[in-house]
Amino acid sequence: MIKSPKIIEDVRINNDIDVELKNITKEANIIDQKIDEPPIKGPPSTNRNINIFYIIMELIHNFLKSSFGNDKPVETTSILQLIIYYFNHLILLQLFFVIAIYKNIQFIYRKIYLKYLTLTSYPNKSPSVIRQDVVKLSKIPKVLSCLLDLKDDDDENGGKDGLINDICELTAWSISSSIERLIIYEYSGLLSQSYDSLIDLRKYIKKNLGLYFGTDAIPTFSIKIPQKNLIIYSNESKEVDIQIDLISRIDGKPTLVELTKTMSELALTKELALKDITIDLIDEELMELVGPEPDLLISFAPSLNLEDYPPWHIRLTEIYWEPDNKDVNYAVFIRALQQFSNCKINIGK
Amino acid sequence: MALSSNPLNATILSSLFLKVPIFAYIIGFFQDFVFSILKTGPIPRHVAFVMDGNRTYAKNHRLPLKEGHFAGANSLVKILEICYKSGISQVTIYAFSLENFNRSKDEVDILFGLLRDKLKLLAENEDSYTRFNKIRIKIIGNKSFIPPDILKDLEHVEQITQDKASKKTLNVCFPYTARDEITYAIKSIAEKRINGEILKRDDINLKTIENNFYFGDDVPPLDILVRTSGHTRLSDFLLWQCNTNCTIEFPDTLWPEFGFISMVSILFKWSYYTTLRIEEEIMDGKNLEAAQQTQSPVLLRDLPQPPPATSVSKKK
Repeated sequence: MIKSPKIIEDVRINNDIDVELKNITKEANIIDQKIDEPPIKGPPSTNRNINIFYIIMELIHNFLKSSFGNDKPVETTSILQLIIYYFNHLILLQLFFVIAIYKNIQFIYRKIYLKYLTLTSYPNKSPSVIRQDVVKLSKIPKVLSCLLDLKDDDDENGGKDGLINDICELTAWSISSSIERLIIYEYSGLLSQSYDSLIDLRKYIKKNLGLYFGTDAIPTFSIKIPQKNLIIYSNESKEVDIQIDLISRIDGKPTLVELTKTMSELALTKELALKDITIDLIDEELMELVGPEPDLLISFAPSLNLEDYPPWHIRLTEIYWEPDNKDVNYAVFIRALQQFSNCKINIGK
Repeated sequence: MALSSNPLNATILSSLFLKVPIFAYIIGFFQDFVFSILKTGPIPRHVAFVMDGNRTYAKNHRLPLKEGHFAGANSLVKILEICYKSGISQVTIYAFSLENFNRSKDEVDILFGLLRDKLKLLAENEDSYTRFNKIRIKIIGNKSFIPPDILKDLEHVEQITQDKASKKTLNVCFPYTARDEITYAIKSIAEKRINGEILKRDDINLKTIENNFYFGDDVPPLDILVRTSGHTRLSDFLLWQCNTNCTIEFPDTLWPEFGFISMVSILFKWSYYTTLRIEEEIMDGKNLEAAQQTQSPVLLRDLPQPPPATSVSKKK
């Protein structure tokens, strides 16, 4: 029998495969290690996964246990004070119970109201419907920012795909209402981790815009990740209808810390005079590093929580959020624009 | 609001009502009771206010501008009382923004004078409010913008209320903007780096910046930020502090009308959500522990011997 490594080699080369057997254990281990690092925990109070009533039962249980047990939460001197303390605490827990019931009713009411709004203002994937809604307004924001929550993978519209879906919709609505800049903030920065997700995102946005505008006239857009200094265009031309920025927690305080480090190093080597460190200089640097200051911030989180949004950038931003709303939907979007058009901005006056 | 159609009558009536000692006593007793209930739960450590709506209030009530600001100052004293009684140690108020210099000269003068008078009133005598209750007053902000005569008075107030033992503080942001504060922090860090107080580049971190704010390094993180009059903007106030674990409230009431009920309901709401959060964290911790204590290891080599492995296309 003739052994011919030549044939095997040839087949492999023609199939675009490495000739040598490649061991990728090391690389896989590195990736695994990265995953093993504790995932960035979302900010508290954005997603609630335990039943409120269960918590209250537990609280009352704790209360009973601690009032008959030994661990006293207060340093009291007399029995009377202790009794008064527990009496008051019991009232507090009762009040919490009432609040819990009230909040649940409110939650249901708001859900129904939002459903109603969603039904009445459904854009039907048609840019002209959206444009008609927008034309009625007296002004629209130049730079719009949206704060999105990464939902659990198991949830409806959750995980990475859900996030991409939300961004696609937001892009379509923003283009339809002729907003030229859209800044997406997501706490963990899941989409800005790798090229792949950026390429994915571009593909899905194109697909979704095709549904709105028809596949022959897809508007152009660019997606930028300021933190990695990356940009991707929808096609060759650099003239775009909308510019999308993906920012995350890193672009906030950590960037300011880095800026401080660099500036103090420059000051140490006398390249930057202390008196030159001004609001304008920092503003200029941060505009370059992170992006412009948004005029309107729409938070799609159930409660108003800025989740470490870049602090420098929210100075005069109009903030809009819909309580108890978790989803990105058009009703919220258009209501935010309506509020923006009604607000009066007078700096300092 | 049924009362708002005839607000003046309503306020006169209610103030008359409160003048009767027995009612005032009952209301006072009730308020103390509410505070003692609140105190048994979690209590925020640091609360900040943007006192917006004084001018709208004056306009709505057809009062001169000055009266509006005066009503606002009265409301402030009321709110301070509520905060300190319910155990909040740090209260920050946005008294004057750097941008406020855009207002008319007259109004700026009114505001400056009013602030000075109010602070004096709060701190002048041994038995005046802040000194009796051992509240420190701190002026936060870019002092280079304050006219010298007013600055002297303010520093005097700061000095006489300086009580090391006391934990209660009133931070008066005057004149202040958050961007100015961040710039100030970066500048002072750069200065320290030049002077050699900070040795390495990597010694600079989040904490360093926070410690170099106008607030100093002993301020607890901000828990609640309240902006009255329904504007949903931060207007350059505490931008750094309010975006991490801070509840932001935009109540619709104007500042002079922001009273006991509005404030206490905000505190109860905060207390409720904080309790939920703490309990949730505890439960998550328990679940995690339970999840980790499963699966004792199975050693592959200790399992019984398998039958011999064979293959049909055996070559050798």
